[in-house]
Amino acid sequence: MTGRTADPVLVEIVEGTLASVEQEVETAIARTARSPMIRDAHDFRAGIHDVRLRKLTGRSYSALVQPVVRDFPIETMRPGDVFFHNDVYLSEGGIGHLPDLCVTVPVFHGGEVVAFVQAFGHHDDIGGAVPGSMPSHARSAFEEGLMVPPIKLWDQGVPNRAALTIMTRNSRMPDSLAGDLDAECSACLMGARRLGELFDRYGREAVEACFDAIIGKTTETFRRELLAKIPEGVHVWEDYAEHDGVDEPRLHAQRITLTVDHAADTPLTIDFTGTSPQAKGPINHAGDYADGVFLKKWLAPILRNLADTPERMAELDVNEGVVPLIKMVFPEKGTLLTPIFPAPTNARTFVILRLLGVLAGVLAKATGGRMPADQETIRYTGVYGESDDGPYLMREVLGGGSGGRWYADGEDTIHVVPDSRNIPVEFAEARWPFRVERLGLAVDSGGPGEFRGGLGYDKHIRMLRDASFMSIADRSILSCWGVNGGRAGRRFQVTVDGVEMEGLVDDFPVRAGQVIRIRTTGGGGWGSPYDRPVEKVAADVRDGKVSFEGAREDYGVVLTGDRDDVVVDVEATERLRERLRETRPAAFFDRGPGYPKLSGGLPHAEVDTL
Amino acid sequence: MRIGVDTGGTFTDVVLVDEESGRIVTTKTPSTPANPADGFMAGVHKVLEAHAGFRALDAVSALVHGTTVATNQLLEDRPDGTSHLGFVTTEGFEFVLEIARQSVPDGYGNSYFWVKPPRIVPVHRVRTVGGRLDHLGREVRPFDEEQAADVARWFRERGVTAVGVCFLHSYANPEHERRMRAVLEREHPEAVVSLSSDVLREYREYERSVTTLVDAAVKPIMRRYIDNLSERLGRPFSVMKSNGGVLSAAEVVHQPITTVLSGPAAGALGAALIASTAGHPGVITLDGGGTSTDVAVVVDGEPSLTTEGSIGRYPCKIPMIDIVTVGAGGGSIAWTSPEGTLKVGPRSAGADPGPICYGRGGTEVTVTDAHVFLGRVPPHLLGGEIPLDVAAARAGVEELAGRLGLTPERCATGILEISAFNQSNAIRQITVQRGLDVRDFPMVAFGGSGPLLACRLIDILGLRAAIVPPDPGNVSAFGLLTVDVKNDYVRTYVARDPSPEVVAGILAGLEAEAAAALDREGFAGHVYARSADLRYYGQAYEVRVPAPDGPVDAAWLAVVAERFHAEHERLYGYGYRDDPRHAVEWVNLRVSGIGPITRPKIAHRPLQEDEPSPVATRDVFFEQWARTVIYRRADLGAGAVVRGPAVIEEYGSTLPVHPGFTATMDDYGNLVVVSDDR
Repeated sequence: MTGRTADPVLVEIVEGTLASVEQEVETAIARTARSPMIRDAHDFRAGIHDVRLRKLTGRSYSALVQPVVRDFPIETMRPGDVFFHNDVYLSEGGIGHLPDLCVTVPVFHGGEVVAFVQAFGHHDDIGGAVPGSMPSHARSAFEEGLMVPPIKLWDQGVPNRAALTIMTRNSRMPDSLAGDLDAECSACLMGARRLGELFDRYGREAVEACFDAIIGKTTETFRRELLAKIPEGVHVWEDYAEHDGVDEPRLHAQRITLTVDHAADTPLTIDFTGTSPQAKGPINHAGDYADGVFLKKWLAPILRNLADTPERMAELDVNEGVVPLIKMVFPEKGTLLTPIFPAPTNARTFVILRLLGVLAGVLAKATGGRMPADQETIRYTGVYGESDDGPYLMREVLGGGSGGRWYADGEDTIHVVPDSRNIPVEFAEARWPFRVERLGLAVDSGGPGEFRGGLGYDKHIRMLRDASFMSIADRSILSCWGVNGGRAGRRFQVTVDGVEMEGLVDDFPVRAGQVIRIRTTGGGGWGSPYDRPVEKVAADVRDGKVSFEGAREDYGVVLTGDRDDVVVDVEATERLRERLRETRPAAFFDRGPGYPKLSGGLPHAEVDTL
Repeated sequence: MRIGVDTGGTFTDVVLVDEESGRIVTTKTPSTPANPADGFMAGVHKVLEAHAGFRALDAVSALVHGTTVATNQLLEDRPDGTSHLGFVTTEGFEFVLEIARQSVPDGYGNSYFWVKPPRIVPVHRVRTVGGRLDHLGREVRPFDEEQAADVARWFRERGVTAVGVCFLHSYANPEHERRMRAVLEREHPEAVVSLSSDVLREYREYERSVTTLVDAAVKPIMRRYIDNLSERLGRPFSVMKSNGGVLSAAEVVHQPITTVLSGPAAGALGAALIASTAGHPGVITLDGGGTSTDVAVVVDGEPSLTTEGSIGRYPCKIPMIDIVTVGAGGGSIAWTSPEGTLKVGPRSAGADPGPICYGRGGTEVTVTDAHVFLGRVPPHLLGGEIPLDVAAARAGVEELAGRLGLTPERCATGILEISAFNQSNAIRQITVQRGLDVRDFPMVAFGGSGPLLACRLIDILGLRAAIVPPDPGNVSAFGLLTVDVKNDYVRTYVARDPSPEVVAGILAGLEAEAAAALDREGFAGHVYARSADLRYYGQAYEVRVPAPDGPVDAAWLAVVAERFHAEHERLYGYGYRDDPRHAVEWVNLRVSGIGPITRPKIAHRPLQEDEPSPVATRDVFFEQWARTVIYRRADLGAGAVVRGPAVIEEYGSTLPVHPGFTATMDDYGNLVVVSDDR
């Protein structure tokens, strides 16, 4: 913090302007993008950073400016410059896999750089071993596509045609790659102009004082309102990825030792020691750069669940202000989180997404369960082949159920990425050679609990032509965990005409007429399912979210009649629930029936008890 | 005589235009939410008596009504709002509403705590029927009549009286939906039915389903309301539509969704006519009310339209005037966040208890209190009818200022500054995000609180001018009298290499539908406006461009494609005009059928003879406290110039002219405010 004090009115104005610039940049990209990952799944983000490289906006995660200024000193930048990079190991931890292409535009005021507008998005294809640049059996980054360290893509307003030609030549979908880069560059340049106007209007010193105030406010709010709710001490938990595409499925541990000391300048220490060695396959995440500054901002949103109400949780922004509160300790080189180049990383969601859950779990342990149960909302499924229009790739991100909370059931088929959208059936069938026979919810998939986990999808795709099926999914053996007596949700499962797929599939042949059935994960349950009010269970059965058998076996609720007229057998329910309550769960977390298969028969992990 | 009646939440505004004399009479009566027809009738009688001295409706040539009766039912989220509603969709898709688009609003990580709001129809009142079409409308599996009959009887037995029907790909072929309606009419004749192929013949099943259900939900209440009003009036009348046209009440009951946002639309239209009369064909309109501000853009005299609006939390993809609403109005409450910063709105003190200065029990400082404390509005409302408690407003501001460590003046001007910034962000959204430069447009500021921050908005946005029309509170009701009859028709036709014959056939079909409706309304002169939605192959959003009249041939297609390239370039800064790698894809064809009316003439204002003389002085704070001159607007004539600092007051509104700004009355009685620096 500097000694400058900011005018509280101007702070509010600057904060509002930052949010609206970020929104304008994202809207412009969303409306013009081609890659389904950007256009529909909204797997792209804009971010605004100050000249000290601090992230100012709070709605979203974003990449880092650090690698750009490392290679291009700020004083050498000129108006109209646009920087580009996607090289994971040269991104200081800000980029996780090569299809995430990042564009950075400096903002000028009085001839000097005063801020940066940045956007990165998940593009269709940047080369590599398979269409879509996510080879699930990759053993090296060289199989995953074209690596571009920070370069100047536009030099004072002039695009570098050579670089663009090399990139598009290396992509299987050059037109959409070129179109999406145009969309991102134009949007960031527009955002940079808008931000420049803010500096022109109020002057650099006043605006920068506001930046300090905005960041400082987040630090104080997190410390006072969220961190204060975690008991001091040392809390340990771990969770697992289940396969890496190369070795047989096993437990790839990701471990957090959380040390809380409210009096310390840095009250939280997150130590990843105990995390498994780096995988041969592509599930590694290169996180141990720049003191873990990317991961601090990536994980901090989980802390918001400690606030008093869901409304308050939604109000809290995560900007650079969370960074001074967290110290990260990484294990030696050569783990899932500290991989050594050229270890492959394209499915690094298995690690960074899981880490959100590990932090939620360790906080659940620390707070006696006042955290949501587990969710898994990113996996890639798709088909590709030839249609009348030539080769195509349909790849979508289907969400899953969120975990039960101490105040509500989990929600059905939602997604962790803000505004991520599924693909309308009427759009898909007009574009690709298949018919969607069902787009529903997977009955009984929500983890049983007093607050039930949300349900996953049940999607049936009938191919009208021969094609290849692909999937990149974790949680196909292990489930989303339940907590505090809540049970795990159902796992991810795909069958092709009854033949079960694994989670990682590059090209399984599907014949015309065959049906691909995809069931995505249900969220974990929260609290004992035998405490769930009987009428809620009956309503779930009426709505087709829980089956009659599920009501009896998972909730101890005996129902008769049919779905139009569900009748509760009160007496039988009381007897059954009494009996079921006697077998108390052995641990604080329930990882589902897949866990013993990978743990050598152990029912739960050592860290799973309070 | 033509009469416009705008039923708002608090007041019913009425405007009468005498076509012979050109005289315009305005009045207000309290709204009567329990039965809005009471307020409507009272307003019509009041305006007639004021104009002609009697109540008879015989000499009235047209009555146009703007209403939010239908919308409020959904916006207020009343539990009874949709309890009568059921939904029929394709087998396998019963969870389409629960799944929606899988998206969680706002921030990253919110999926952990987000609680999904209730769906417009809960899943236990969703039924499915077998039968399947493909995207070209070809039947893949036949419609299951028997299942359909079971579904109809199921709804009948459970008292579901409004049913929305949306089958997959019905935009390409409405056959199965029409058969479903026939079954419902046979088995459950009391039910009102909305078919998605009637309401919105456009792809994207979730959005089409919800739009159809909004139509079905409001149908019964609109029918009751229209029937009741028709009976009491004993004569036909028209209802304002969200697309900027009107429709006879008799037709509106068949497609009530087209009226859902008619109030704000009328405001934008009224402002558009006033501005173009005064020589400004392109303006931003800003309608400031008690709880919110509605902003729209007018280009070439016409407010721009969107098909991506929503009613409350329900997406509604029917064409409506593109309006951005922000929770910033006179009643917006100033508060301190847990982080200790000053925030304004979106919570509002409303009319009850209202701002502190109303003296009706309000305890939280509002935007109006800040204005009152600073002396920028008079210490009373409506020309003196309602006194305001200045001391109470001051005490409130002082208390808040103390908490923030600011002087009361800095606190009050800060509240107004933040409120102005909230309004300016809405203006930016609707201009910058649509590719328009805000500095190209003067702003028409109206509504009770619209003119109050005009000078600040000029400053913040670099606007050329702000135009404050006479009677700013009645612009919406006036707008009702400026509107043509207008119906919209759409067909999805996805093609990269469109056949001129197919396009011509679809347009001919749409124009025939439009003609039939205009004939029913008794219009001899028809106007058809064609437009088309296009995109670059692979994009998911379309850009709409107007399409020429005349025969459809290769040249016609090329003109439309060229307009698309140009518009894409204008909106997003790039396009692919000469780049064959980026194919243009046609998506929707549209026709609007227009039955034109004669628009009211706005009278000239007499010239100002001498220097205008102030009626009073008052202590007002702009940059410092100073004795400031007060003018009565009625005293000003065309050409009158008022230099800030000054305050111009009229019956329903006030215009503070800040130091460094000048207000000039134009030939039509509008006050045109500009910054002296420009």
